[in-house]
Amino acid sequence: MLVLAFDTATDVATSALLEDAEVLGERASVAKTLLEDVDALLRQASARPADIEALVVGTGPGSFTSTRIGLAVARGLALALDVAGAGVSTLDALAAGAEGALPVIDARRREVFVPGAGAVAPEDLDVAGRLCVGDGALRYRDVLEAKGAAIPPDDDIRHLPRASLHARLVTAYGRVDEIEPIYARAPDARRWRG
Amino acid sequence: MSTLILGIETSCDETAAAVVEADGVVQSSVVSSQADLHARYGGVVPEIASRRHLELVAPVVRAALEDAGVALDDVDRVGVTQGPGLVGALLVGLSAAKAIAWARGLPLVPVDHLRGHVATLYLAPDPLDPPFTCLLASGGHTLLLSVREREGYEVLGSTLDDAAGEAFDKGARLLGLGYPGGAEIDRLARDGDPEAYSFPVARVAGLDLSFSGLKTALLHAVRGLTETDLAARRADLAASYQRAIVRALAGRLRAAVERTGHETVAVVGGVAANSELRAALPDARFAPLELCTDNAAMIASAARFARAVEPPGYLALDAYPSAPL
Ligand SMILES: [Zn+2]
Repeated sequence: MLVLAFDTATDVATSALLEDAEVLGERASVAKTLLEDVDALLRQASARPADIEALVVGTGPGSFTSTRIGLAVARGLALALDVAGAGVSTLDALAAGAEGALPVIDARRREVFVPGAGAVAPEDLDVAGRLCVGDGALRYRDVLEAKGAAIPPDDDIRHLPRASLHARLVTAYGRVDEIEPIYARAPDARRWRG
Repeated sequence: MSTLILGIETSCDETAAAVVEADGVVQSSVVSSQADLHARYGGVVPEIASRRHLELVAPVVRAALEDAGVALDDVDRVGVTQGPGLVGALLVGLSAAKAIAWARGLPLVPVDHLRGHVATLYLAPDPLDPPFTCLLASGGHTLLLSVREREGYEVLGSTLDDAAGEAFDKGARLLGLGYPGGAEIDRLARDGDPEAYSFPVARVAGLDLSFSGLKTALLHAVRGLTETDLAARRADLAASYQRAIVRALAGRLRAAVERTGHETVAVVGGVAANSELRAALPDARFAPLELCTDNAAMIASAARFARAVEPPGYLALDAYPSAPL
C-alpha cells in the first residue's frame, strides 16, 4: 500500500512516501511548500497522485497555523483522491524516533508542549537525567541542560518529527475529515475588527 | 459540458465553495457563515475563524459539488482566494485548494478577494460590462474603483481608517445591538428618524473616506443617555448613524463618477446589502443580495479572468494578508 505521510506542526515540515513499511523517500522543508516535497517524492517513486492509497498526517501540537496547513492539505487530498487516513501526534512521532526520550515541542511564548501536559514553561519540567528531543529542547537547551537533561547536538535527526515515524505508528485508517488537530491551548480571543 | 470552475473562499469568517461555469452561470454556491460563533465577541476572532474553516472546508466543497450535481472529475480548474484577509484563515482554503488541484492535475487560479467582490457583477444572468465605477464596501474594505476591464481595476479612493462595514459593526456595538452590525442597524433604522441626530462625516481630500470620527460622534451621543433614554432613542440613533454612512458613501461615489465619466455605477460587498444605500443609489447596479457578503461564486467568477497556474507552479503559493498597493 502506497502511503503518503507528512507533518507540518513545527517549523520543519516533514514528508515521507512509503510502500507498506518500506520508506521510498523522505523530505523536509516548511509547511507552505509541503506539496512541492510531496510532488517530488512521488516523481522520485515514479508514482502519480492517484496512486496514493492512504494518508498519515501529524496532528501537532505545534504552531496552530502551520499544523492546520497540514490538516487542510490532508483534507484536500482525501477529498480529491477518496482515500482514508490517520492522524498521529507530533509528540508521539518524536518519541518514536528517539528511544526513551522526552519529546519537547516549542509552543512559543516561552512555553513548550510535552506529552500529557499541554503548554508548560521549560523551567517547570522535571528532566533530570532524561534525553530530550524536539525543537523545544533545542530552543531551551540552556534551561533544560541546567536541570540535568541530555540533549543531542542541534543537527541530530532525532530532533525532527520525521513523517516516516508517523506512518509506522498507525494502527488503523479512517475518515480524514475526522482527524482533528491537537491545539493543546485555547485560542486567543482577540477580535480582529478593532 | 462547458468549463467548470470550483471556487473556494476562506478569507474571513465565511467558509464558502461554489461551482461556476465559464460563461458565468452559478451552478452552486455554499456559504457556511461563522457569524453566530463570533457574535459573542462582537467581531471575528482570527484563531477561532481558522479552526472553524478547517472543520468546514471539506464538507462545504463536497456540498458545492453535490448541489451542482457534478463530480470533481467534471471540474476543469480551481479558483481560490489568496488574499487579502486573515492569513491563518486564508491558508486553510489555499492549502486545501492546492491539494485538490494537485491531486487532480488541475490548474489553480489564485484570486484576489477584492477582485472577487467586483467579479460578482460578471455572473449570469445579467453580467455587467466595463467600463463602470464601483464602490466596494464591506467589513474589511471600502474602495472606489474605476473598472475598465474584467481583469482588473484602478483604485480611485479608499477609507483612511475604518471600513464602512466596520463602522456599522462598531456603531451596533455602541448601541448594544448584535453582530454583524450592518443588518441590525439597517433593521432598527426603519423605525427611526434619520434626521434626529446630525452625525458629521469627516471631509477628506480626494476620493478617500474616513469613518472613525463618526463612531466617536455616536459614542458621545450615547454616553449622555440613561439606559431608558437609550432604549427610547436607539432607533433614531441607528437611523441617523446609517444616514451619515450612506451619505458619505453615495457622495463619494458620485464624486468618483464625475472623475471617471462612466455611465454605469455599481456597488458590491457586504454593505451593498444595506437597504438605505440601495435606495440612495437608484440607478446603480448592486450585487445580488445573496452575493454581497463573502462567497465563493464571486471567487470562481474572478478566476475566469485571472491567470491560471499549471501544476506544479502553484505548489509553493503563499497567502497574502493585506491588499497589494
Ligand atoms: Zn469580502
